[in-house]
Amino acid sequence: MTTLGTVSSLIAQADLIDPKSMQLMLIFSALLFVIGLVGFLTRRNMIIMFLCTELMFQGAALAMVAFGRMHMDASGQVFVIFILTVAAAEAALALGLVILLYRKRDTLDAEAWSELREC
Amino acid sequence: MEFSQKLILIAPEILLFCGAVVVAVLGLSNSRGIRRAVPFVTALFLAGAVVGTVYVYRNEDALQASGLLFPRLGLFIKCLIGVAGIGLVALGTGTIDRTFENAVAAGRARFDPLRVIRGEYHAFFLLSIVGVMLICNATDLIWLFLALELSSLPTYVMVALSRSSRRASESAIKYFFLGAMSAGLFLYGFALLYGATGTLGFLEMRDVLTTMHQSPEGLPAIAILGMTLALLGIGFKIAAVPMHFYAPDVYEGAANHMTGFLSIVPKVAGMIAIIMLCGTFGWAEHVTFSPEGTEMIQEGLPAPVTAVLWMVAVLTMTLGNIGALLQTSIKRIAAYSGISHSGYMLIGVIAGTENGIDAVLFYLVAYAIGTLALFGVLSGLSRAGHEVESLEDLAGLWRRRPRMAAALALAAGSFVGLPPLLGFWGKLFIFIAGVESGHIVLVTIAAVNSAISAWYYLHIAGVPIVKMTTPRSEALTPQPNGSPRVVACVAGLALLIVPIFSRNIYTFARSSMRYGELTLPVEDATALVDPDTKKTPGPEEDPPEED
Repeated sequence: MTTLGTVSSLIAQADLIDPKSMQLMLIFSALLFVIGLVGFLTRRNMIIMFLCTELMFQGAALAMVAFGRMHMDASGQVFVIFILTVAAAEAALALGLVILLYRKRDTLDAEAWSELREC
Repeated sequence: MEFSQKLILIAPEILLFCGAVVVAVLGLSNSRGIRRAVPFVTALFLAGAVVGTVYVYRNEDALQASGLLFPRLGLFIKCLIGVAGIGLVALGTGTIDRTFENAVAAGRARFDPLRVIRGEYHAFFLLSIVGVMLICNATDLIWLFLALELSSLPTYVMVALSRSSRRASESAIKYFFLGAMSAGLFLYGFALLYGATGTLGFLEMRDVLTTMHQSPEGLPAIAILGMTLALLGIGFKIAAVPMHFYAPDVYEGAANHMTGFLSIVPKVAGMIAIIMLCGTFGWAEHVTFSPEGTEMIQEGLPAPVTAVLWMVAVLTMTLGNIGALLQTSIKRIAAYSGISHSGYMLIGVIAGTENGIDAVLFYLVAYAIGTLALFGVLSGLSRAGHEVESLEDLAGLWRRRPRMAAALALAAGSFVGLPPLLGFWGKLFIFIAGVESGHIVLVTIAAVNSAISAWYYLHIAGVPIVKMTTPRSEALTPQPNGSPRVVACVAGLALLIVPIFSRNIYTFARSSMRYGELTLPVEDATALVDPDTKKTPGPEEDPPEED
């Protein structure tokens, strides 16, 4: 809660924005991030796992937008454009790798790939 | 600063980028001679980039105006990664595409551009190195994020390409997913830092954070959370706990030359990113200047960040060493030993005094040369077409290939920290810096760990010398291409010879760690900067002399 407290005190300084909506945006971004993280750690389908990392990226991007608005600074928005570009590059790579693995084992289950482990 | 000056500073990276394009095209050529020339062209471009870096960093005006946190850090790192890169190219020569090229040469197959990977491999290699070099030139979080991604995205593909086996695909997908997750972590950390400070630039952020730190309320929780997430996320690149568990699996699955790449390049990238971030958060005893021109001592890393890094360092070296004790596969041992070395390097980061960071840079040099020797031996030998995997494969190596066994022993000795070898000096500097900054407990834990690690390093050094040849190790033959073995010998010799120059390397490291942009009147600034500037003459500028 201290984090939220600091955020609202920061928001109070920039009195141009409605603190309520700013808080909502930040909570939403944190939710997206946590859903992504938890999903990544619990799900075993490779496509879903990849989507979860994308969710984490988008959580960060949304936080950037919100903070940029809060500070009335454009660089947050600029960062978001780069995040989207990198996320697209990662998506291309991820799908390529997933298809490579699917062709070898005919399954998307990450558990099927456990040849490398502690002996 | 002017855009053209910014371009001048990254001219070596632009050269390497062009090199990546050239190499990708050459690798598809119909002519076998041109395809064989690809590694040499790659090495040439790397050498050109190192020379270019030395030349570019003579341009004091551009450096002063660059707005970089550590303007001269790039010189050290770019030389190191460029020279290590040449060694790494040599490790892969002759392994990549070998079966297919042999089939083409024997007339069993027709050349098919879709089936060769030589061009792609070397192009991605250069792109990844460009990413590491660009990290040193980062002025803000956007640049740092893009450079980190540029250095890591190609490595995922390289792992998948490096072998055709299922294990390589598995290790690639593990590496990719965990890499993407860690990227998400540090990205969210960056977002929180931006939210706390309202700026993305390192210099402005450092000023804002220092002001907050000295104010009665202290740092806001959101800033501390951001710092922690950013450091933990980047910890993936140096395989620090809790993001270390991928390393053994990925190292085991990738081809040997690729494992050498993975243990050097991402580690350098992560260490530099951590150093730059910690420099932004503020370090103890870095002298800064108040507007009146008087010296003032900065407060140092915020206590929670120090606590996080402390725990990460202790866990990283301990888990790394314990993990390595339980392994029989030499690549898994190498992975765990790499993890523990990250832990030692973090001591220097925590110490944070100028000595600490210099020690980290020095340690990176020692670690890179030792790793080149180790993986030079591993990729220079093969067992009936398979790669060297278990320690048993190396039994009796001393009698049949004494030079390889000697290089292996030198690498292991340097990793333990046996006195005349380079690794000893690296550890010594790190421990001295830790003691000086008052982290006695941390240094004690590291020393105990170092003693534990002697057990498995002595195995690596001893099994080839003491054990008799077994039927399994009988099958061990040298690879047709000799360049990895040359790298192993040269790097092994370097571990013996470079300590003579350790003072020069240390001065070079020190000169590259000075903070940029002194906020004091210009005439005073030049008076303070000048004496040290003259201490960086040309001859000291190629620390690892393995090529």
